[in-house]
Amino acid sequence: MSTAEENILYVRDVSLFYRKRKSFFRHDSYQVLDSITFTINKGETLGVIGRNGCGKSSLLKILAGIYQPDLGDISHGNISVSLLSLSLGFDGELTGWDNALLSGMLLGFSKDYVKSVLSDVVTFSELSDFIHEPIKTYSSGMRMRLGFSLALYLKPDILLIDEVLGVGDAHFRQKAESAMRNRINSDATVVLVSHSATQIISLCDRVIWLENGSIKLEGNPESVLMEYESFITKIKGVGKSFIGNNVIKGSSN
Amino acid sequence: MNFLQLVFVKISLNLKAEAAKSYLSYLWWVLEPIFFVSVMFVVFGVFLSRGGDQFVPFLVCGNIPFLWFSKSVSNSCNSISQGRGLISQVKINKAFFPIVIIGQDLVKQAVVFTMLLLFLVSIGIQPSANWFYIILVIIVQLSFVISCSLFVAAIIPILPDFKYIVVTGLQLLMFGSGIFYSYEEVLLEEHRDIFLLNPMANIIHNFRLVLLDNSAPNFDSLFITFIVCFCISGGILFLFSKYNSMYSKLVIE
Repeated sequence: MSTAEENILYVRDVSLFYRKRKSFFRHDSYQVLDSITFTINKGETLGVIGRNGCGKSSLLKILAGIYQPDLGDISHGNISVSLLSLSLGFDGELTGWDNALLSGMLLGFSKDYVKSVLSDVVTFSELSDFIHEPIKTYSSGMRMRLGFSLALYLKPDILLIDEVLGVGDAHFRQKAESAMRNRINSDATVVLVSHSATQIISLCDRVIWLENGSIKLEGNPESVLMEYESFITKIKGVGKSFIGNNVIKGSSN
Repeated sequence: MNFLQLVFVKISLNLKAEAAKSYLSYLWWVLEPIFFVSVMFVVFGVFLSRGGDQFVPFLVCGNIPFLWFSKSVSNSCNSISQGRGLISQVKINKAFFPIVIIGQDLVKQAVVFTMLLLFLVSIGIQPSANWFYIILVIIVQLSFVISCSLFVAAIIPILPDFKYIVVTGLQLLMFGSGIFYSYEEVLLEEHRDIFLLNPMANIIHNFRLVLLDNSAPNFDSLFITFIVCFCISGGILFLFSKYNSMYSKLVIE
């Protein structure tokens, strides 16, 4: 885990609202994120935890540039930010190769760059000759292997991960986890949303706890998780320590 | 640059995937317009005995351009909402979706137009140097197709009911564009200028001037149509990039 302190992304007072149409002219608006402020340092892994519906996915969408905040601002200069996705725009009629090329380009990488990493992607995914078959003939495990391998080899400046560290069969899952762990532990800048306390503690340098769209606590993983656990225990009346458990209580996705 | 590359790759892969879905694959590009023209010929040429000897080339020169317009516009209607999967995962300019549809239809249309010219020659119509003007007419029609397709793609996520207006509008336009009748024979003199204010009627008229009458097109009307469509398309593209995030919310929520 890097200790570099160079900020590469600022999030300042960011608020996000969704609108729900009630009738032809009437809309209800509800707030999903409320005055969120934090920074991401180069090379660090930032964990995001919180209960379902607390705004984690919306926050990732803002970081990925899919949404613009309604209030506040986010600045990340010219760096690339990508949300890790295991089957982005996959079309069953096209070959694995074509799909991987398209998927990489959709993430904002140039055609030449995606082509340059594709042979490594094929090797890592262990698809060999299958890569030239239509993806509709793939098993779901094979699709995921392709998607994961692509995400591993395309290197955005900030990688956003939403609960996807465990794909394919036991052998591939182990290989995938250790490859992603190496990636995270190297100089990559990562924002990781996870419900796994083990993953958060072992991978993250810092954790943000979101509650009702705002930051309830920010700090080192152990202390934030401890507070989060006791909060969940209090509101749900479940008394169990998070350490040694894989799933944080109250976050069953 | 990456955006254009992505558009080209997506168009070529979509065409490949579409062809893979049917037994006759690429042959459908030509078969479909042939079916439409045949039905029109049977109804108007045989049952209603309109048009005389030259009715078939007359009909083809009206129906083929109209089919291009109508397919691109109706395919663009839901293009953005169909891209929901991608929109929720990557930051992408929403104009991408209608542009890909327009591009796909353009490639198919290029083949159909080539077949149209070969057909006209095969039934004894003599090509002349004036036929080169057809490129100009096609460019003007492309600008009209782009502006209308972008417009419907932009408006329908905001006003979903508009797609019913589009369906009705296309029907009306089919009857109001002089596909199976000559406006010079059917309309009163004082109504003709009003009829030609319909850009599609004007474009079809110019197709016939060039291909059937072997004369130059009406440059003034083509120029005005092109400039207006160019400005409308530019305006909509600007709005797409300005309100990109708003479209993400409209589609994802």
